[in-house]
Amino acid sequence: MAMDVVDYEIFGHEMQYVEVELDPGEAAIGEAGAMMYMQDGIQMDTIFGDGSQQQSGLFGKLLGAGKRLLTGETLFTTVFHNEGHGKRRVAFAAPYPGKIVPVDLSAVGGTLICQKDSFLAAAKGVSLGIAFQKKLGVGLFGGEGFIMQKLDGDGMAFIHAGGTLMEKTLAPGETLRVDTGCIVAFQPSVDFDIQYAGKIKTALFGGEGLFFATLSGPGKVWLQSLPLSRLADRIVMASRAAGGGGKEGGSVLGGIGLGALLGDDD
Amino acid sequence: MPADAPIPARFYPAEGDAHGHPARLSWDGDALLVRPEDAPDRRVPAANLRVEARGFNHSQWAICWSGDPAASHTHLLIVDDAHIGPLRRAAPDLFVVGEQRRQRTHRRFRVGIVALAAVPLIFAGGLLLSVEPLAERVVAHIPPSVEQQIGAAVLARTRAAGPMIVEGPAFDALQTIGKRLARPGEALQFHLAERPDINAFAAPGGLVVVNSALMAEATSAEEVAGVLAHEIAHVELRHSLKQIAKAAGLRVVVSALSGDYAALGGWAAQLGELKFSRDAEREADARGLQRLTEARIDPQGMLRFLEGRAAAAPSGPALLSTHPDTVERISALRAAIAAAPGVPPQAIGIDWSPVARGLRAAPGRGMMPSD
Repeated sequence: MAMDVVDYEIFGHEMQYVEVELDPGEAAIGEAGAMMYMQDGIQMDTIFGDGSQQQSGLFGKLLGAGKRLLTGETLFTTVFHNEGHGKRRVAFAAPYPGKIVPVDLSAVGGTLICQKDSFLAAAKGVSLGIAFQKKLGVGLFGGEGFIMQKLDGDGMAFIHAGGTLMEKTLAPGETLRVDTGCIVAFQPSVDFDIQYAGKIKTALFGGEGLFFATLSGPGKVWLQSLPLSRLADRIVMASRAAGGGGKEGGSVLGGIGLGALLGDDD
Repeated sequence: MPADAPIPARFYPAEGDAHGHPARLSWDGDALLVRPEDAPDRRVPAANLRVEARGFNHSQWAICWSGDPAASHTHLLIVDDAHIGPLRRAAPDLFVVGEQRRQRTHRRFRVGIVALAAVPLIFAGGLLLSVEPLAERVVAHIPPSVEQQIGAAVLARTRAAGPMIVEGPAFDALQTIGKRLARPGEALQFHLAERPDINAFAAPGGLVVVNSALMAEATSAEEVAGVLAHEIAHVELRHSLKQIAKAAGLRVVVSALSGDYAALGGWAAQLGELKFSRDAEREADARGLQRLTEARIDPQGMLRFLEGRAAAAPSGPALLSTHPDTVERISALRAAIAAAPGVPPQAIGIDWSPVARGLRAAPGRGMMPSD
């Protein structure tokens, strides 16, 4: 089945949403709860599974839904059909600060391995699967766990991750060492492995943990500058209600003295 | 699939950029024919090729060869495993090493996942198995004073749960039978509770509580003596203590696994409703029989009461539920009585019918309010 070709536009800077334009009869799938608004003429339909045509029968659907449950997504996918006579738009918003990256799956060879729960929306026909990380060390220490998400198809997919997203094309043999947790997506030709930080002093006090994730080419990789878990840690640490430090300034003095005198610009 | 169907691949020439070029591959005699979309075709002899499994879960194949033997860089082709079939059939030798590596990764994954899943199960299983010996060890360290305290708590709870009978012919009969059964120096307390279910239970500290319905159901003092001997044996063998320790131990395991430590406080409340294992019941029967023999009480009473309960099974499930496999117990008991004839018994000498009639006719007589 041919994928639906979608036109899109991404709005915003740090908290983005993507507006997808659907021709009559076209459809897009969105992560449940990601829809922000839609125009008249777009029908919303919730289906069990991921809406790709590859699953047939009840068993296939259950399997697909079970996989979605494993990746931490909801059992249902929402399909947005354009039932009107003209182009209509539907928008999907990112759930936390970060960037939305449009990926043309046909340009990356049809398959993309993603961090779980990074999927936001896609053209109908893209299948969302799960890919088990089969290298035990990578699953345990690589920062992405054993379960990753696999997008298959040749349409457009929108993935989302925290902070700023960096897209890089690795040449054959080129290796990038990445902080664990910062990997968003990569082509299947990229080798994802881990590397011991090397020195015990670095491992304990360097703040980067015991292992790096390594990505080696050829292939495209997408990295995020701020994993949500890190942002959440910082927010909790800074929260007075959660028993964190609760200091707004850099020091106690800045918080109560200079901060009060100089920092208050209201 | 025809043998010459081109295989989609991505070609990274040694002198090229990081992006590579789409290409089509086919096998041509003893060489690989590489046809990039935007570059001239290349023909690479099979002998020059090296093949490796790589990428995510080794789902890709890397085919490399050196253009110029002196150059450090090699030409590279990336082919998805889904498309590799024809090439692999044409030159299976090239793929042996890579396939071994793939299989190894997959095998390690399976073993690792099973191990990861098995560790908590083994841990939980070990804890469950160690509950019994742990309970034994804990019970061995419980001093008599603690037993007395637990007994007092159970008695207080029984009193709070309903009225007790503290005087009258039935109470006196119970004390008489109890005295016959007690060994010299043994501190046993016998209490009569006004309850409609046919049951009796023992608690640590030598406490035996008999329900009025049980005394009313019995047809002779010997039958009650049999029940009492059985219950005293439970106390003697510290069955209820072991059961408490085991119940607490199981809860420790369960709450440790579920992370719910608040549940630990609740276990002490259930002392009265303990169920003993089949082995514990058999043990108590044997020990009870021994006590009856020592006290020169006819063990036929014990047997008769059990038989009566077994016959009335559907209507009186309370005793049966806490004393499982009554039929099995009866046959074991009968064999034990036959094996040890012992000295001729002396009758307890209580005319039972007025006692039972009194309990049945006016259950409230001689009753005292609980508080």
